[in-house]
Order: sequence, then C-alpha cells, then structure tokens
Amino acid sequence: MPPSFPDAPPPTNSAPGEPRPVPERFIVSRGTLRWDRFMNSAIVFGGIGIIVAVFGIFAFILLEIAPLFQGARVEEKIQIPLSAPKGSLVGLDEWSELPFYFDGGHEVVFQPAKGGPAQRLPTGLPMGTQITAQRHDPLKGRMMIGTSDGRVGFIGISYQSQYQGKGAPIIQPSVKADPLLPLREDPTPAPVVDMDYADAGDKKLFAAIQEIDGQRRLSTMSLRQKKSLMGKGKTEIERRDDLTALLSGVSPKRVLVAGTADSLLVTTDAGEVLYFYRQSSEWQLRQKFQPFDGGPVSGADFLFGQVSLVCYDPTGKVRIFSLFVPEGGSMRLFGLTKEFQPIQGPITYYRASQRNKSFLVGNANECALCYATTASVRRSVKLPFEAVSVAMDAKAEHLGFLDTKGALHLYEVSDPHPEAGLRAFFGQVWYEGFAKPKYEWQSTSGTDDFEPKLSLVPLIIGSLKGTLYAMLFAVPIALLAAIYTSQFLAPQMKRIVKPAMEIMASLPSVVLGFLAALWLAPLIENKVPSILLVILSIPISASILGTLWGRLPILYRNRLPKGTEYLLIAPVMLLLAFLGWQLGPVIERAFFVATMADGSQVADFRLWWPQFTGMPYDQRNCMVVGFMMGFAVIPVVFTIAEDALSNVPPALTSASEALGASRWQVVRTVVLPIASAGIFSALMIGFGRAVGETMIVVMATGNTPVMDEAGRLIFGDLGLGNGNFPLADHWNLFNGMRTLSANIAVELPEAAQGSTHYRTLFLGALVLFAMTFVLNTLAEVLRQKLRDKFKIV
Amino acid sequence: MSDASSPKPTRTPGEVKVWLTAAGLTVGLLMISGLLLLIAFNGLSVFWPDRVSLFSLKEGDKQVQIAGSLVKTQQRRKADGSFTTELQIFTGNKDAYNLAFRYLDVSSIQEETQPKGLYVAERMEYGDALFTPVSLQLGDGRKIAGNDPAFMAEFDRLIEAGNDRRAEILQIEKKEIGDISARIKQLEIRARTQDVKAELATEQAHYQTLATAAQKLRTAQTADKLTYRLATGEERTQNVGDILHYYLPNDISFIGQFGVFLHSIWEFLMAEPREANTEGGIFPAIFGTFVMTVLMAVMVTPFGIIAAIYLREYARQGIMVQIVRICVNNLAGVPSIVFGVFGLGFFVYGVGGFIDGGVQHPIPPVWWFAAALGALGCVSGGVYLSTHNRTAIPTQQKRQKFLHKVEGTLWILSVFLVVLTIARCPWFHGFFSDSLPTPTFGTGGILWASLTLALMTLPVVIVATEEALVAVPRGVREAALACGASKWQTIQRIVLPSALPGVMTGVILAMARGAGEVAPLMITGVVKLAPSLPLDLSWPFIHAERKFMHLGFHIYDLGFQSPDSEGAKPMVFATTLLLILLVVALNLAAIQIRTRLRKRYMASAF
Repeated sequence: MPPSFPDAPPPTNSAPGEPRPVPERFIVSRGTLRWDRFMNSAIVFGGIGIIVAVFGIFAFILLEIAPLFQGARVEEKIQIPLSAPKGSLVGLDEWSELPFYFDGGHEVVFQPAKGGPAQRLPTGLPMGTQITAQRHDPLKGRMMIGTSDGRVGFIGISYQSQYQGKGAPIIQPSVKADPLLPLREDPTPAPVVDMDYADAGDKKLFAAIQEIDGQRRLSTMSLRQKKSLMGKGKTEIERRDDLTALLSGVSPKRVLVAGTADSLLVTTDAGEVLYFYRQSSEWQLRQKFQPFDGGPVSGADFLFGQVSLVCYDPTGKVRIFSLFVPEGGSMRLFGLTKEFQPIQGPITYYRASQRNKSFLVGNANECALCYATTASVRRSVKLPFEAVSVAMDAKAEHLGFLDTKGALHLYEVSDPHPEAGLRAFFGQVWYEGFAKPKYEWQSTSGTDDFEPKLSLVPLIIGSLKGTLYAMLFAVPIALLAAIYTSQFLAPQMKRIVKPAMEIMASLPSVVLGFLAALWLAPLIENKVPSILLVILSIPISASILGTLWGRLPILYRNRLPKGTEYLLIAPVMLLLAFLGWQLGPVIERAFFVATMADGSQVADFRLWWPQFTGMPYDQRNCMVVGFMMGFAVIPVVFTIAEDALSNVPPALTSASEALGASRWQVVRTVVLPIASAGIFSALMIGFGRAVGETMIVVMATGNTPVMDEAGRLIFGDLGLGNGNFPLADHWNLFNGMRTLSANIAVELPEAAQGSTHYRTLFLGALVLFAMTFVLNTLAEVLRQKLRDKFKIV
Repeated sequence: MSDASSPKPTRTPGEVKVWLTAAGLTVGLLMISGLLLLIAFNGLSVFWPDRVSLFSLKEGDKQVQIAGSLVKTQQRRKADGSFTTELQIFTGNKDAYNLAFRYLDVSSIQEETQPKGLYVAERMEYGDALFTPVSLQLGDGRKIAGNDPAFMAEFDRLIEAGNDRRAEILQIEKKEIGDISARIKQLEIRARTQDVKAELATEQAHYQTLATAAQKLRTAQTADKLTYRLATGEERTQNVGDILHYYLPNDISFIGQFGVFLHSIWEFLMAEPREANTEGGIFPAIFGTFVMTVLMAVMVTPFGIIAAIYLREYARQGIMVQIVRICVNNLAGVPSIVFGVFGLGFFVYGVGGFIDGGVQHPIPPVWWFAAALGALGCVSGGVYLSTHNRTAIPTQQKRQKFLHKVEGTLWILSVFLVVLTIARCPWFHGFFSDSLPTPTFGTGGILWASLTLALMTLPVVIVATEEALVAVPRGVREAALACGASKWQTIQRIVLPSALPGVMTGVILAMARGAGEVAPLMITGVVKLAPSLPLDLSWPFIHAERKFMHLGFHIYDLGFQSPDSEGAKPMVFATTLLLILLVVALNLAAIQIRTRLRKRYMASAF
C-alpha cells in the first residue's frame, strides 16, 4: 500500500516529515485484507499440499513395496533352563510357551518358558521299552520312535489352550503313545538306527535302518487303513520288504520317505544318496548320486513339500537337489538345482520350515536361515553359545537352540516375505520340478506346499508384446493421418477431424475390450488370410490411385478440390478391401493347407499355423489385441504428432515450395525433420498408453502368462527356440499373453493384504508407473526442446 | 496440352506417398465411424421387435418346426475347411429348449413363413417366450380358450394385476423389510452390551406380518395360469403373474413396433436387472455410474482448481514449477490401474481400515496431548501470521520474509501434527469396530472408488484450469489490480469467472474419463450386482461405504463372467451404446465449450 497519494487532501494534524495518512476513501477494509491474506496462504499451502499429496502416491507404493526387500529378523527372546540331557530331542509348541524335551526315557518333560516347575508326563510306553531313535514332527504334533527290539511307533504330543478370563490362555500338554509296530517278522532283536514315515492317504509307509549282527539293514513296512463308514478304520500291516540287497554293500546312514509314500532316499557312508522307487509293489534303485562329488555327506533332509532334498556336508556346503524330469528323460530324477554360500565349519543341524521353502542350517557357533527357491541366505546369525541342536515350531516363528549346558535359547524369527528379492522378481529361478531355470509367474495354487513363482519378466514381456503389436498397427495409420491432416487437409475439415479423433481417444477401453473379444475375435478367427489381404489392400489402393492420379492431365486433376483425396480414396479402398476379404478363402486353399492326423488335407490357417511354425494359435491373440489397442493408441499419437507437424513455421514450407519442391518433397525434406522430435514424443506417449492399457488386454487376451522364451532372449542366455523360426517363436502373433496391468486387475482383488503376493503386485504397479512416467517425461522434455527450437526459427 | 512443342510435363514426385497419407486418414476415420456405427446398430437393434418366422426344417427323416427371429447370417467352417452358410435365430423359450439361440443350416430349411397370432412374452424367468396361446386357467376356476375373443382383454387385465402385485411385493421386501433388517442388525450389535429383547421382539413381529403379506401376494401371483403351445408342438403352462408384458410381433404395424421399441428402451433404462444381469434393465448401473461420477467431480474440482491457481498465479515461475508442471502433466498418462492399486492400498485398507477398526499403533496419551497441543498452536499461529503482520513498510521487508518462512514452517508442522493426532490417537477404536471382522469402510465402496478416480483425473483438471488461467489476458488482471482490487479479489472476481468455461471443460473431460474407466474400479468397490443403491431413502441417505454397479463393469461382467455369453450379448451391446453415448456427449460438450472459449479470447485479445 503506497503511503501517500498526490491528490490526497492535505494532512490536518500531522507532524512534518511523517507520511501523510491515507484518506479514508482509499483505505481497504481490514476484513478484505485479512481475507485476502488468508486466501493467499490457503491457496499456496493448499496447492503445495495437493501436489505433494499427488506425488504421495509414488511414496505410498514404495512404502508398500519396501518390506519385500527387507531380510529376515532373528532375535533372541529368552533363555529357558531346560536342563535337557545330551542327545535328547527338543520340541516347541505352537505358542513357544511350553518347550519340551525327551531323552528316550519314559517321560516327556515340559518346561514353561515363563518359569515355574517342569511338568513330567509319562509316555505310556510299556516298561522296558528302550528307545534307540527318535524324530519330531511339529506339524503333526508327534514324535516318531524306534526301539531296540526293532519296533517303531509314535508318541503324540498335543496341547490344549484354555482361556480363563482375560489373561493369556493356559496351555495344557498331553502325551499319548500309539502301539508300537514290529518292523520284522522274525523276533531277532534289531535296534532301530533311523526311521521315517509318510502318510499319503491310502498308502502309508515306514522305512527304517536297523542294526543286525553289526550290519545295517534297510527295510520298509507298508500299512493300509481299512475303509470304514464309522470314522477311521483299523490300520494293518500290508507288507514288509528288506531292501538291504539293493544297497550293494554300502552302509546306510539316514533314511527319508517321500510324502507320496512310494519312494525312499538313503544316505550312505560313502557320500552317496540312493533313490529308491516302488513301482507296482516292487522296490527298485532308480538313482544313485554323489551330492558333493564323492565327498562326505553329513546329512540330507527334505524341504517342505518333499520334492527337494537339502544336502549338507562337514565343510559347510549346502546343496539342493530337486526331482524333475531332465530334458530328454522320461523319469523324475534328482538333479542339482541350487548351491548356497557355505557357512563356516561343519553343519551339524537342520530344520525345514513347515510353511514355506525356508530352512535353517547351522553349527555350534553360527546358523543361517535360508530360502530355497531363490537360493538366498535370508539371515545369518552368530550364536553366543554352543548350539547342539535346534527345534522349530510349526509356524516357523520360533527357534529353540539347545546348548551344551542343556539350556534352551528361544529365538524369534520374523521373515514375512522370504520369496521376495530382486532375483525372484527379475532373474531366472530354478523352481522345483522344472528341468531348467525359468522366468515364471504363478502366484497362487490350491496346495499348501506350493512354491510361488513371482517373476515379473513374463508379465513385462507380455506388456511389451501387446504394446509392440498395437504400435505396429497404430503408428503407421496415426502418423500418415497426422501428416495428411496437418499438411494437405482442407482447414474446415480439420476442425472436424481433430475432435473426432479426440472422441476416439475417450472411448472407454472396456468397450474396446468387449468388441475385441466378443465381436472381432470370433469374426476374424478363421479369416486370417482375408485380414492379411485387407491390410495389404490399403497401401495397394493408395499406390494405384496415386500413380493413376499422377498420370491424369492437370485439367482433370484440378477439378478435385485440394485436400479431398481422402474422400476419393475411400471407395477404392473399400472395394479393394472387400475383394481381399472375399479372396481370403481362395488364398487359404492355395497356401495354408494343413495335413490332418488321418492324412486328409484341410485348408485352415488355424491348423496350418501350428503345423508350420510349431507355435500355438489362440482365438484371442495378439492380432486382435493389437487391432483394438490401435483404437486407443491412434488418437493419442495422431493428436500429438499433428500438433508437432502443424507447428512447423509456414515460412519454411512456403520457402521450399517457392523453390519448386512438390508438396511431398516439402513434407519429406522440411516438415518431417523439423517435427521429428515432436513425432518421437508422440510415439512415446502412445507407447505409454499401450503399456498401461488394462481392460482391452484383460478381455481380449487369454491372460496366460506365457513368455515363449522371450525373456531369455532379452535377459541374457541367447538360447534358440525349438520351432522352425527360433526368433519369431518368442513374439508369436497368434497367441495370447498376460500383461502387468491385466495381472494386477485380475489378481489384486484376491491377494491378501500385506502378503508377498499383494506387495509383488504393488511392485508390478510401480514398474508400470515408472515405465509410463519416464517415457512421458522424456516425451515432454523433447517437446519443450522442440518448442524452443521454433522460437529461434 | 495438345501443343507438341511444349515440354512434356513431368509427374509430380511423391504423389503416391501423398495418397498413402490420405489412405491413413481414411482408415482412421473409417475405423472410428465403423466402430460407432457398429455399436449404434447393434445397441439399438436389441430393442427393435423383429418379426418372428416359422421355419420348417428337415432333420434326418423328421419334419421339425421352429419359430424364431433372425439374428444374423454367418459363414461356418466345416471340418474339411470349406464354408457353409447358417442362420442364427433367437428362439426364446430357454426353459423348453435350454438355449435361447439356435443355429440353422440354410440347406436344411424347407420353408419360412411369418404367421400371424404369434406371441412374444417377456417373463421374470427364462427370458422371452415365443408361443401361441392355448387357454387361460383363472384362479377363480374360469377357463378361457386362446381363440376366445375375450382372451386378449382378460390376458391384459391379468398381466396388469400381476405387475401391480409385483411392485407391491418389491416395496414390501426391499424397502420395508430392508429397513427392519437394518434395525435388527443394529439391535443385535447393541445386544452385546445391553438388553434389547423387547425391541427385538417388536421388530421381529413386525417383520413377520410383512413377510406374511408378501407371501400372500406371492401366492396370488401363481393363481392364474396360461397354457401355450410352442412351434414344436409342445404345450407348456406358465404363471401369468410372471409375465411382464407381451406383444404380437407379426400382427403389429410399424408404429406398433416402434411402440414396443420405446417400451423396451424405457424398461432397459429404468428396471432392475434380472437373471444374472442378462435380462431386465440396468438402472442400478446407470445410477451407480452417475453417483460415482458426480462424487468424483465434486471432489476433484476444488482441489484441481486450487492446485492450478497456485501453480499459475502464486508459484514463482521457475525451473521448479516447470518440473512440477511436467510431472503433473505426465500423471495423466500413468495407467489407471496404478491409481487403482493406490486406492486399494491407501483408501480401502488404510483409511477404511482406520475408520472401521481405529488406531492400530497408538502413542502414549502424554505424547498425544503434546502433539494435539502442538497442532493447535501451529494452526492458530499459522492463521494469525497469515492474516496479520504483513506490513508493507519497505524497511521491514527482511522481517516480512522471515515471518513468511515461519508461517510456512508452521503450516507444514501443523499438517504433520494434525495427521499424527488423528492417526495415532490412543482413544479412537473405530466407528464400526462392533461389526468387525466384517469390514464397513475397510472394503471397496463408492466413496473409495470415486476418490481414486478423483485422484486419477486430478491432472486433467489441473492442466485444463491452468490453460484457462493462462488464456485470461494479462491486461484484465492488471486493470483489476490498478482499480485497487487485492490479489485474491482479482482472482475471485476477474480471473476465475473468465476462466470458468476452461475449468468446466477440464471437469467435463475428467468426468468423461472417470465414467468410462473400469480397471481401478474393479479393485476399489464395483460389484456385478449391488443389493441396494448408494443413495436411497433410508437414513443417512448417502451410503458412501456401499458397493455399487457401474456401466463399464457391467459390460465386462456380462461379456466375460456370464454363463450364457450369447444370451448376454444384446444386453452388452445396449449397455455399450449407453456408455458410449454418455462419454461422447460429455466429450462433445467439452469440445463445444472449448471452441467457444477460443473464439471469445480471439476476439478479446489485448
């Protein structure tokens, strides 16, 4: 506010030198000023706030993803004076409040973690039973035992939690032994050294190593449960087998029974693993391998799911062998799939999680929590005590280390996203049951022991594939149309064409998707040759007309008003397209004849394509997607390219016309080079639109996350495909795909909040966001540069 | 030209290429017009009552008759690769034939006639029936033969009565019983803490009377029966109460056909969907789309305008603002599904979960009080500084700048503290924790869907508003300031009104984009069949937490999740036509406003 005004009335009572007071009629009311200031502040901070909030999207998505890349946390909680004798078995309950030990005697001892007297519960086994081998299965809540007289059985350990009032529940353990079953029919005392058991529903199998007269023998015992209407029937022994002969003299150390109860794994003193398989009740040795190339094996154990075998040796090496059908083979055999970073010193204990593919290996001073799928060590912990063995609860949330003094150190494990990691998302991973490492997306399955396959590569490839075909179709049309509209079209038409294209841009993509899937896909499914001819007819009609037109005398040519070529070409093009459509079946009969299994010849492109190229043909394929996505991409590219072309200064085009250039020469030599940056930015924005397109892809593709080996081509390992056209194989025009965006739309509603799957989908969204944002920014910067250039011109 | 001495004119180079570019434009225009025509034709023909033909077919040795209206003629590929022509006809009578459509090989058709006296009746279940009436068995024992002259009048009367009864049942079951069950649900939640047995009993008694009344009406609906004969000769019986309306396709004139056409359109727009959405109308989807779009516009407009005014009128136009502007611009190009992902994570699970279940990780009360006090202090300090203490005395400019910085810091702090006090309040246990684990706001709903779309369309509004603000001539602003208006007064009274058409263009474009978008809605609250509308007459009228139906999702769902996709196709085309009309109309409006705006500024340029 200026302090004085020249026309202000003279001051009445003011001292000289002081500014004259502002006359009242010029004074703004205080309310107005306050309101003004308040609104100014409100808009400034509101505006900044809104902009920050909009970019908060990015931050939020990052925050959701961050936990994926955090390692596991393993922390010591408490130490429990269990005072377990050496060699006893230690187990944890579900809440890790009542750990127990069992030293092979007649009692199981439970020690409350919060202190208090130990509870000793009798096993209920007959007196005189001498236990020589024991194993704990926390998931089923039981211990498996083998006795000195060659019998095996279970001691069930269960917990009941009782809620009393508001406090924590009181946990009551109970112990119950099942009757023991003799492994052999002859009554010779044969102490059990090691045993394992698997229950596959109707098939149940015991396998055990026994020591008879100083020789170790391997035997199996199959059980059968009688089917009964009244609950479970009685279990009876079906048959017993002695497999010692198949060992060919080596001494077995440890036996494992696969969950399907039809195969056995035996480790031997000679550093070998033997794989036995039972086919029509006859046992045979299927495979014999040396996990450490002849070196000693200190142990081998199954991973959760019992398809992979974790082998470890006295030098700290850990290797995983999985069952798969090798390339060219016919049987599932074990093969080396993963090798881990070795840990210091020999591995003395192993525990596999009963929830996912994590496991724990370690020795007295160090232990490592590993995740099998990605072959990564999630967390390695130095132990401040000497650990003898370790127990893991069924939820894999707690670890109990037993030290040499018999105390139990309870550790808390928190690893919510073991499956995650850069390698899992972007690298090749050798999944269980696969013959080689692969990029694969399969996030969910019906079974518990499923291994999530979270590679984003097939989805990114799918996105790029769809985009590529959309661009192949859309870019020529959009650019040609833009050139024509900006350079040749009559201005009054231009005022109609541009809004028409903008309306095309706003067509909801769900509509395009619906038309693609329910109208276009069935329409062109068996008309591929016709479609190809129709596409060909467009340039043919243009060149025929152009050539003829060029030869027409100028007198006739001038009769056509300037900028109406597009009208003249329409009937010609339609006619040719119609001819092409009708000719399609003829072409098909001539060139695309498939030979059927019975030797007959059928002219059908759909059959011919897979026969000729070895690639599948789907009804909802890339051609359909490309065409319909073209509807979304054409207007975007058109609008921006047209703007760039129209902005070329008329002085330049006029100058070149004055020098005698024909109208196409002006376009080719002057307009296109100057507008090239703008056209490029149009292409990038069109690309961004196509990459993120969701509904068209969801509806018009089969949504199968196939990759056709494409990832291998891009992401290293330049292997060649199997088809006749190894390169084309990867970008098959006639099959479907699944894109990042479609994957999110389909799977996110079913993903549990906070799960790895959920966060991985967020990662997919971030990839999409980054891709489009970077592309658009580049395009924008290019356009700005272009604008500056014109200012100079 | 005939002058032989003149040099032979050389052909213009590149003419073929010019024609190629013309071909490009032609293809583009043909594509869009073809698409619009295809949708318009298919969408409108759904409602047009086609004449029904009676086909005599030869199937093996037998002679079979079937009635139906022609849908399309198509080429089918036979096993040996050659083509054969076949007709797709709509036969209706899904209950008798299992399918409502049939394909007839042209070679097997012996005769095709269009006999008069055929009825097409729309029913509550199994879609349309095509028949000739045999007799009408009334509830009071009377029986009227199909060829009786009184048949038509009686049939009309019964259908009328049936429709009235159906409306009554709907009123009782949806509105009155719906209200009671809402009250009972409330009572059951209260019953956990207090004794409400008496109230519960009253409500239940009330419920019983209503249910009995509805049951009585339902029985009345099945009293009158119609016996009819199909073209195949089979006779069937049908409750007249389940017939909505009927017409005689081969007897009515063109005007009559047009009447049926309009009636079908009206029903399509105003009725509730039936039969897994494949029959009936799409009123809930239209309403859901409308409410969602309006909610979105209401939310996006003020925020978009404030952000644009800030960017254009207040922010110092430097490199920083330029970067922000580019980024905002590019946000418009970010795929909608990304916004959907954010909406699900932040609005639905984050904010929704907070409203439902309250604070998950509270801070200690002492800290909370400190934060609340701090927030209060910061807010009042900010308000005070922003309204006072801005002297224009030149010697105090340094002080002014400092105070300005203090004010900014205070505002930022206050935002942080207010969020903290709300989000970590130890005494807030959620508004709907009673009904947990069933989420109320913690699941998709119309509020979250429209908020997500508002976020998605915010860049559109910001960019359009900015453009409009730039277009306001500098001279106008300066004139206002010279007349003594303050900055805000200039913006409020001069700049914004003249930019209003531009802002409206932005908002309309945003609405068009929002109305057509489906992908983000799929994960933030749209459903295939919503039991109730998001806006109705039961308290509190606006149910922001409810899930809703949407035209776009309706298309997706019908086309892809429907068990009978062939039967759903007409419905999808009709819905598509409606959605396209909506979007194109909004776009045309925006384009129109923009053109006018341009003209005005061209005229009034300084």
